Amino acid sequence: MKDHPIWGKRDPIRKVTLFLNGKEMQAFEGEPIAAALMANGIRVFRKTRKRGEPRGVFCAIGRCTDCIMTVDGVPNVRTCMVLVKEGMQIKSERV
Amino acid sequence: MEQRQVVVVGCGPAGMASAIAAAEAGAQVTVLDENARPGGQLFKQIHKFFGSKEHYAGMRGFEIGTRMLKQAEDLGVEVWLNSVVYGLFEDKMLGIIQDNTNIPMKADRIVLATGASENALTFPGWTLPGVMGAGGAQTMVNLHGVLPGTKCLMVGSGNVGLIVSYQLIQAGAKVVAIVEADSKVGGYKVHADKIRRLGVPILLSHTVKEAKGKDSVEEVTLICVDRQWQPIPGTEQTHSVDFVCLAVGLTPLTELGSMAHCQSDYIAKLGGFTLTHDENMETTVPGIYVAGDCAGVEEASIAMEQGRMAGISIAESLGLIEKSAGEKKKAMIRRRLDELRGRPVFYESAADQGGPQSPTGGDNPFRKLPGYPSEERIQGGPVAVIECSEEIPCDPCAYICSREAISVGRPMTKLPQLDSEKCTGCGLCIPGCPGLAIFIVDKTYSPLEALVQLPYEFKPLPKMGEQVDCLDRQGKKVTEGKVIKVTNPSRFDRTPVVSVVFDKRFADDVRAISLRRKGHGRR
Amino acid sequence: MDEDEGMIVCRCEEVAQSEILKAIEEGARTVDGVKRRTRAGMGLCQGRTCRRIVSKIIATETQQPIGEVMPSTFRPPVRPIAIGVLANEKE
Repeated sequence: MKDHPIWGKRDPIRKVTLFLNGKEMQAFEGEPIAAALMANGIRVFRKTRKRGEPRGVFCAIGRCTDCIMTVDGVPNVRTCMVLVKEGMQIKSERV
Repeated sequence: MEQRQVVVVGCGPAGMASAIAAAEAGAQVTVLDENARPGGQLFKQIHKFFGSKEHYAGMRGFEIGTRMLKQAEDLGVEVWLNSVVYGLFEDKMLGIIQDNTNIPMKADRIVLATGASENALTFPGWTLPGVMGAGGAQTMVNLHGVLPGTKCLMVGSGNVGLIVSYQLIQAGAKVVAIVEADSKVGGYKVHADKIRRLGVPILLSHTVKEAKGKDSVEEVTLICVDRQWQPIPGTEQTHSVDFVCLAVGLTPLTELGSMAHCQSDYIAKLGGFTLTHDENMETTVPGIYVAGDCAGVEEASIAMEQGRMAGISIAESLGLIEKSAGEKKKAMIRRRLDELRGRPVFYESAADQGGPQSPTGGDNPFRKLPGYPSEERIQGGPVAVIECSEEIPCDPCAYICSREAISVGRPMTKLPQLDSEKCTGCGLCIPGCPGLAIFIVDKTYSPLEALVQLPYEFKPLPKMGEQVDCLDRQGKKVTEGKVIKVTNPSRFDRTPVVSVVFDKRFADDVRAISLRRKGHGRR
Repeated sequence: MDEDEGMIVCRCEEVAQSEILKAIEEGARTVDGVKRRTRAGMGLCQGRTCRRIVSKIIATETQQPIGEVMPSTFRPPVRPIAIGVLANEKE
């Protein structure tokens, strides 16, 4: 949001580069991975093991584990809780 | 093995209040929170809070959080962030994970202030990306600056549903409707009024039949329900949306307490199973206390009072506060809790709730309220009209008028009373009302025009001289008007006041405006 | 009834509502009972999302008030934690 009625204009924050399934994308320093993905228009974070159904962000607060992805080789990372880091490699399972 | 005197699990309003109260009495307090940022739910609350002075009423949630945190830190409270309490074991031992290290910690006293989690509503398609908790959407929007979509359906008309809908609109999304399965709105009337004025319909006795979409939500079908909550076939309506927010209640997070064998009781009104506690907020396990939503889902103001109660009780039990001094403080808290919960507390004898009555009823639903001036007074010059018709614990309006024209008294659930003789129609009260329920009406602006001052918390702000649509309380356009003033000093705390001039015949109806141009962009 | 069809109740383990109803038909009366038969509540979120929904289904099907349906027991850890981390204890 460029100019919010309560927050005002966002302070210029450092950008970091992430890689989603090898594809480069931009994120803001200090935001959770899930927020960065959603800001880049990504809504499907993974497909389920049994039915192959799309899942994304559900609770956004680290409880439902729907938003899990493999981050820098570590599986089942709750992307709504973990903050972005420069050069992070994110893999969506079965997408 | 780490050892502490008082450990508080959860750094939200309840946790911070208990830490502050215990530390004030001299206890050594450590607060643990799994999040990277403290403040619990406060940090994503951008609206002004209700309650009274003791609850920082009138301040925006995130500012209350900042203030409480500073208070705690100034008192020497130790705060551990990014620290997950994964278990609560025998003898008040906690298992903590911080930085991939397992840290056991023993405490003399524990306060569980772990809050509550959002409920889910199941319907075909509820697992599609785009269907999310309303609190989750609020976190994304208010904390991370990301909109989950552009067109939303809100499910649930409790305070969370009403407030989050408003905040989504502030962020630039459209809310196509709020659906509520019950036959009445669940949240405060002022929150519902705020959202209706924006033209968002609240569909009562409706629920979601299904959500559809290829890889994410693209449309929802709503259906009417009868008094037994059964869907009525043939009443379907489909809307095109790209996200659906579920605001269907919260359930206390009692996991840690249950693990430690604290007893819990099912109390539907409080959200489900809550940890049983006495008036001191102590659970059935000595030395373990609860506060806030995990003791029962209520309000932030109640969470703070419960936190204070737990902190003081703990200090008493540690011998840091003398019994009689402690009792006095606890009695005050009990009185405030009763007041916040709407139980009559008689500070004075049967107070008169009435006020200036209007000679004509008219179809203005607020005319007969003590906060409404008489028609005679309205015809005499600019004056405040307080459209607050529900007894809720809230009284900041009583402190903002420099002429003391507004009073509430105790209990603070009383409706505000307007002394219309003292009122000059200056409009200072408008940004002070957390419910945005106060307006200034001036029927003497010109022979054919009236002027209304109203709160406008959106961007872009209208410009001087701009032509706008004037809306009634249902968000319906009734006439057009011209903006002649926009006041937005910093002391209004981000609630700009817009003065709009329009056809006088609509002076009793116009309570909102809509700009004719688009302004928002996504990030 | 095809168990792989129909609306999901347990998001983590992808357990359908039809499976839960079947478990109740076969005698499950508690949330733990349904969990053991269907795996609902055994996934990564440990029932945090579906526990309440399963309770409600049991209450409706068995005509008990929801407060009398036994909730599942809470065992540590209450958050997903890798075993290696649990073993990495600070002195």
